[in-house]
Amino acid sequence: MSTAVADSSTVRDRMSALWRRYRGENNETTLLLLILALVGVMAIVEPSAITLGFFGDIIRSGIVTLALALGLLMIIISGGMDVSFPAIAIFAGYATITLMQSLGVDGAVWPFVVAVAMGLLLGSLNAVLVARYKMETLIATLGTQVIIRGVLIAFIGSVYISVLPAQLDAVGATSIMQLGGTQVNVLVIPVLVLAGALAWVLRRTMFGRSIYAIGGDKESAKRVGISVKKVQVAIYLVAGALAGFGGMVHVVLSRHASPFEIVGTELNVIAAVVIGGALDSGGRGSVRGTILGVVLISLVQNSLIRLGVSSYWHVFVVGLVVLAGVAIQARSAAATHRRTRILERLETAA
Amino acid sequence: MTDMKTSSTAGLRARATSLWQGATRHHAYDLGLLALALVVAVVFTLINPSVYASQLNVESIAFSVPEVGLMALAISIAMTVAGIDLSTVAVANLSALFIAWYSAVGEAAGQGPIVSTLIAVAGALVIGAVAGAVNGFVISRLKVAPILATLATMQIYTGLAIALTRGEAAYGVTAPLSEFGMGDLLGVPYVFWFFVLVVVVVWAIMTKTTFGLKATLTGASKVVSEFTGYSYSGVIVRAYVLTGVISALAGLVMVSRTASASAGYGSSYLMLAITIAVLGGANPFGGRVAITGAALAAVVLQLISSGLNMVDVSAYIYQIVQGAILAGVFVVTFERQRLLQRLARRRTAPPEPGAPQPAPSVVREKEPA
Amino acid sequence: MSFALRARGISKSFGGVKALTDVDLDVVPGEVLCLAGANGSGKSTLIKIISGVETPDSGTIEIDGEEIVTSSVAAAVQRGVQVIFQDMSLFPNLTVAENIAMSERVKDGVKVISGKRARSLAKSVIERLGIDLDLEARVENISVADRQLVAICRALALDVKVLFMDEPTTALTWHEIESLRQVVEQLKKEQVGIVFVSHKTEEVFAMSDRIVVLRNGVVVRTGATADFTENSLVEALVGYLPEDQRRVEISDTGEEPPALSVEGIGVESLFADVSFAVGRGEIVGLTGLLGSGRSEIAEAIFGKLPIDTGTIAVGGETKTIRSVADAITAGIGYVPEDRLTQGVVLGQSIERNLVSAALGKVSSSAGVLKERLLAETSRASVAELQIKTDNAALPVSSLSGGNQQRVVLGKWMLTDPKVLILNGPTVGVDAGSKATILEILRDAARSGMGVLLISDDVPELVSVCHRVLFVRRGRLAGELAHDEVAEPAIRERLVR
Repeated sequence: MSTAVADSSTVRDRMSALWRRYRGENNETTLLLLILALVGVMAIVEPSAITLGFFGDIIRSGIVTLALALGLLMIIISGGMDVSFPAIAIFAGYATITLMQSLGVDGAVWPFVVAVAMGLLLGSLNAVLVARYKMETLIATLGTQVIIRGVLIAFIGSVYISVLPAQLDAVGATSIMQLGGTQVNVLVIPVLVLAGALAWVLRRTMFGRSIYAIGGDKESAKRVGISVKKVQVAIYLVAGALAGFGGMVHVVLSRHASPFEIVGTELNVIAAVVIGGALDSGGRGSVRGTILGVVLISLVQNSLIRLGVSSYWHVFVVGLVVLAGVAIQARSAAATHRRTRILERLETAA
Repeated sequence: MTDMKTSSTAGLRARATSLWQGATRHHAYDLGLLALALVVAVVFTLINPSVYASQLNVESIAFSVPEVGLMALAISIAMTVAGIDLSTVAVANLSALFIAWYSAVGEAAGQGPIVSTLIAVAGALVIGAVAGAVNGFVISRLKVAPILATLATMQIYTGLAIALTRGEAAYGVTAPLSEFGMGDLLGVPYVFWFFVLVVVVVWAIMTKTTFGLKATLTGASKVVSEFTGYSYSGVIVRAYVLTGVISALAGLVMVSRTASASAGYGSSYLMLAITIAVLGGANPFGGRVAITGAALAAVVLQLISSGLNMVDVSAYIYQIVQGAILAGVFVVTFERQRLLQRLARRRTAPPEPGAPQPAPSVVREKEPA
Repeated sequence: MSFALRARGISKSFGGVKALTDVDLDVVPGEVLCLAGANGSGKSTLIKIISGVETPDSGTIEIDGEEIVTSSVAAAVQRGVQVIFQDMSLFPNLTVAENIAMSERVKDGVKVISGKRARSLAKSVIERLGIDLDLEARVENISVADRQLVAICRALALDVKVLFMDEPTTALTWHEIESLRQVVEQLKKEQVGIVFVSHKTEEVFAMSDRIVVLRNGVVVRTGATADFTENSLVEALVGYLPEDQRRVEISDTGEEPPALSVEGIGVESLFADVSFAVGRGEIVGLTGLLGSGRSEIAEAIFGKLPIDTGTIAVGGETKTIRSVADAITAGIGYVPEDRLTQGVVLGQSIERNLVSAALGKVSSSAGVLKERLLAETSRASVAELQIKTDNAALPVSSLSGGNQQRVVLGKWMLTDPKVLILNGPTVGVDAGSKATILEILRDAARSGMGVLLISDDVPELVSVCHRVLFVRRGRLAGELAHDEVAEPAIRERLVR
């Protein structure tokens, strides 16, 4: 009710209001500035590295991360955590290839559909544990991660498949454009379309708003008439499907299939989503922020390569960057949880 | 409100019953784990008595419980303060690498075996304490959620180990450590005695000291602990230092037993350690001390592992079993609680205003703020 | 006769404890029904059941003549039931407009939402109420009073048939209450059935047509408001006519320095220029609306929210208080506002909670707990505070609200404080416990402690306080001296 009178507010207030307006709902502007600064540093330190191919590499390495990050984003907004998506992804990707081989069939589009269906099915495990048994989401998904990966390796297969079925492999060889020396694969299109679709779902549908509502306050969501269980089930099913799709993208882009991949890369994906402004306590996050988070992580990794940093140091450096990014977001989240003003602005300014 | 003094004998009886109930409630879970261990042992013994019950097998179980058991202990403590420590394996490896490295350095420098052993172990403990303090600082001061904080530091510690070793393994430990890792006393391996000793000490710290009490209350409710005058970061940093030191002890056992260390050793231990901690009775939402439970659960899991190994199934089946146990603990607790509540509803008590619902034990006892 | 709401034989128990027994509730279109009951009498449970949040064990609910078969919030909302919850139940991370639009979206079952629609809906409700709210602000960034208005707007955004209002005015000023009152009049004309829960007796008599009194989960009296007097309502509420007469002892502390004195304390943007003193043996009331800054002042003195300006002195000595630990060392104890989330750890034992703030008393200097001493200390506390339990090793959650609050009190008594600050110590506590708690405060004062009682329970303030201070928008706004303390005077100043 306290409407601040414009001319009575201090310069500092006006500046911070301006910043509040442009920093984006989830600090997206900060992130964008950080990315530009990093590119700037690269341009000064290693000018020869800033080529079109450099950006092509970033896109190529970021695309799988983004595909995997989308489902996780929904889960984190709803206040949960998921570490099972890498297992779901590689299960769907590898099992689909195995299925194609054993049936002797080939295709370019339907394998993706099969992988998505498998992801959906595996996601239902999480859905049951979280929505029905109210398990802590980290513990639940840790459990399903080992189960899914265990089943994959023990029962589906453990061999490295070096050659994909021809039509599917052709997808992996199709590029839409060339940036420097790097081919940009056609799969960029469906991944970006999915990202756009998720952004729309999150902003403009009741399902999307319910995810934010549950992440904001679960009890309030119940009281306003949102079926928390139904929404949670849907979240984990869709996240499973998205992970399945991401797994297939990974397999096709790498042009081989190995059951031992993806699992172990979860940190990068979680970091991208969290650095992108999704709060681990839920209720906040956006597709835009996640894309920026993916770009940042990808940028750091590719910069290390271009700068010729020994690969032995990569894990360490990326870990540091992740910690810094996560800490910055945690700080800004803590700042928004400051108490709301009680004193009238006019009086304190005086 | 004034009718609390009922007739003295009835009061005494009531107190005696409730004490008994308290005692059994307190230990019922551990007794259950013990029973579970017996069942598992009996089942596998029946399958193949000559192999499973052989001295060799029992000894090998006793040799393999401590390292993952110690990691589970570390995670259980993190859970007591409503956190988790995903960096425990990384810290153990870093400590183990230091011990292996210093064993060689100390010998090259002409130090006696005792001196170089002491320095190597002290160094490992310092590494554990510092790594734990960093975790505690990131969680309590930078306010990063424990899972994200330790996921990142896991990467950092592992990355450090890779960078310093260039990804290669280190071999060899001092003679006393080698004896510690392989010898036994009264037919029980030294490392198992050591494990029991650590369990007792940690149990005492968590249940018999003001720190333990503060940690438990802080884990149960950060807000209440702050309103009680506890320093949140003080409690959290100390808890994670303890966690880090225990992880370093796990590294000590690892390197002593195998006489080698590497940055990538024991990566499958993380999941196993979490499973053990949860099966041991730790509540990921905080506020419960389950040290003895974690120790017993470590034995249970090792009995299962050894049994599965005996019947020759793949390591991945064992992983599936772990995941199933982890989920199973929650599902069983949840269904049991539901059943109890339904039974209680049939026998309805007289109205008593303000009495809250009993919360299912493993399920969330509080909503996060 | 047609009913907007007709609930029959509603029973509900939690874990073997009956919360409601065979409750009937009828609401006629166009009437304002007051649902009265002490805390813990089952009011909230009844509201939650009718609004579909909880499922009853038995009983039927009809809305507008139609029985609700499966109880769910969505079903209740569909039929036109809306609730303004006491805790507001908003989404802190969403905007004001979106919070207001949420119940319409649920009711209409929309799949694709429109931000424009949300804004226009919110705007129309706000205009109807004649208030002013920033539609684009996130709820976590607005004041408590504004949040209460948002909760009211959300309920009124739809065509309601039955409207529940659970203490909707605790943070509102007279002007805002007046707007709400006009809207209620309007809704009555539109034949809405309104169920109103309030602690403010004058509000109950001014606004309601009929009163239903719940006690221990049972309807004990129903009747037209005109048939009740203030005394008969209180008697129905608690079962007897309590003598909550003003009982204040004046002790002569002579020239001794005050137990607590604060001089010009302030915290940026929250409160400023607060100066007052609490003498030894004195109970001073501090009151104000929800969100007025009364809790912040208490938390600042207690070190939870360290002060930016001013000084705090305990027993005449200036103390630097930057943390809760500092405050405890200085001799200040604080029974916080929210017992369940700030006062006690529900899942932990009674004895652990009792000794938690005075661990030095039950441990060696090396930090090892002395188990026997711990048990003895907590047993003494249990006896002294008449905590109703036969085993202090049981979790606090096994106690009733009033006994839980005594545990919080006991926890601070064990620190031997010179100053005890209490923030709403009898909220959610049954009448018997309330009397006991107030008596404990009188005893504490008698023993020389200075007591600062923050409360908006007017009879309670009158009953125990020597003086009453008022807070408005983060500043002290007057004081009632000993001979001025009386219910009408306090009420009048509160909403001014």
